[in-house]
Amino acid sequence: MTVTSSQRRGGGYLERPAPSGLADVIEIILDKGIVIDAYVRVSLIGIEILTVDARIVIASVDTYLRFAEATNRLDLYDKGGKDLPEMLEGVTESGASGKTSGAIKGVKKAISSKSDDDESRPAKKSPSRSRRSQSS
Amino acid sequence: MTHGVDGEADPGERGTYVYGVVRVDQVLPDGLTGLDGSHVRLVGHETVGAAVGSIYLERPPGRGADLVAHTEVLEALAMRGPVVPVRFGSVLPDDDTVLSEVLAPRLDRFDELLSSLGGQAQFNLRAAYHEAGILQEVISENPAIAGLRDFTRDRDPDAVHPQLVRLGELVARAVDGKRASDSSFVLEQVRPLVTQDVVEPGRAIDQVFDASFLVADDRRGEFEDLLEALAEGMHERVRLQLTGPLPPYDFVGDDAWD
Repeated sequence: MTVTSSQRRGGGYLERPAPSGLADVIEIILDKGIVIDAYVRVSLIGIEILTVDARIVIASVDTYLRFAEATNRLDLYDKGGKDLPEMLEGVTESGASGKTSGAIKGVKKAISSKSDDDESRPAKKSPSRSRRSQSS
Repeated sequence: MTHGVDGEADPGERGTYVYGVVRVDQVLPDGLTGLDGSHVRLVGHETVGAAVGSIYLERPPGRGADLVAHTEVLEALAMRGPVVPVRFGSVLPDDDTVLSEVLAPRLDRFDELLSSLGGQAQFNLRAAYHEAGILQEVISENPAIAGLRDFTRDRDPDAVHPQLVRLGELVARAVDGKRASDSSFVLEQVRPLVTQDVVEPGRAIDQVFDASFLVADDRRGEFEDLLEALAEGMHERVRLQLTGPLPPYDFVGDDAWD
């Protein structure tokens, strides 16, 4: 095998990141390579657990609720006229406000109780964050 | 701390850290160092050799820097010839044990693997949707999803819990369908250009798939050109991200060899 430094070609739509951060390296090599019957192992504190958690997304009610939330959240991005405070106002008006905030807390808990793949994508807006402004 | 193997004060017992296995005649890069800055050397047995370094057994547990050092050694080795990566963290009592326990019992298997990996490198490809885009697609193509969304969107989530679960389930299923067809579209074109592949289907909303490919050096240009063309053609819906060349981490088998 001849591994050379990567060169970029073409029009640039294909992203060619150089694995730099620890997260990239973990993703590429952790648990990869042949296993030999070692005498001792250099153990990695914390890192393995983090990776395993990020990979497990079980099809469950929690997952479905997260998908539903993402689907219903879509308007927050693309609807020009109605902004977040207005929508939240609407929610509060339509029901008993105490109950509403409790329910939202419940969903938030359901959403965040399973370790999810959002952890590896920190840029993504978390469902709980868009809701939190309501109680403030 | 633990620099060098011939330091004056010996802070404890040492073991032999194993990075990977190469052909015995592979010349290691000058001054190659690995974990704790220790010198990387070759322990040879007939046709194969293990790239190893000394390590103090009493050292503190591994940190991110150790993982990075391990990959850097393997990348340096891969630039010179075929390499079979050994899993991070493997330490044996001494060089003799590396010979007798690792190399000698598996000589044929290493020989075979090094031959089959020669002239090839691994590339990792990640395909991802733009989340808002894929959701827009499934909403506009599925009246049931659009309906449930309208019904639940501004209501108390407690009051519409079953509908929300149903909505999420339908979205998950619709995205699964998209994922399957977009994955085959890409993979059917890529597969003729690669020797082996490992594909992990996506599970988060925006993940299409993660794949590793073993690509022969003389097809690399074609492989990269194809992906560039695919990325350009799909860029409004799907982002393609290619990492490599990498050592063949995903193509050496992952079971214990004993």
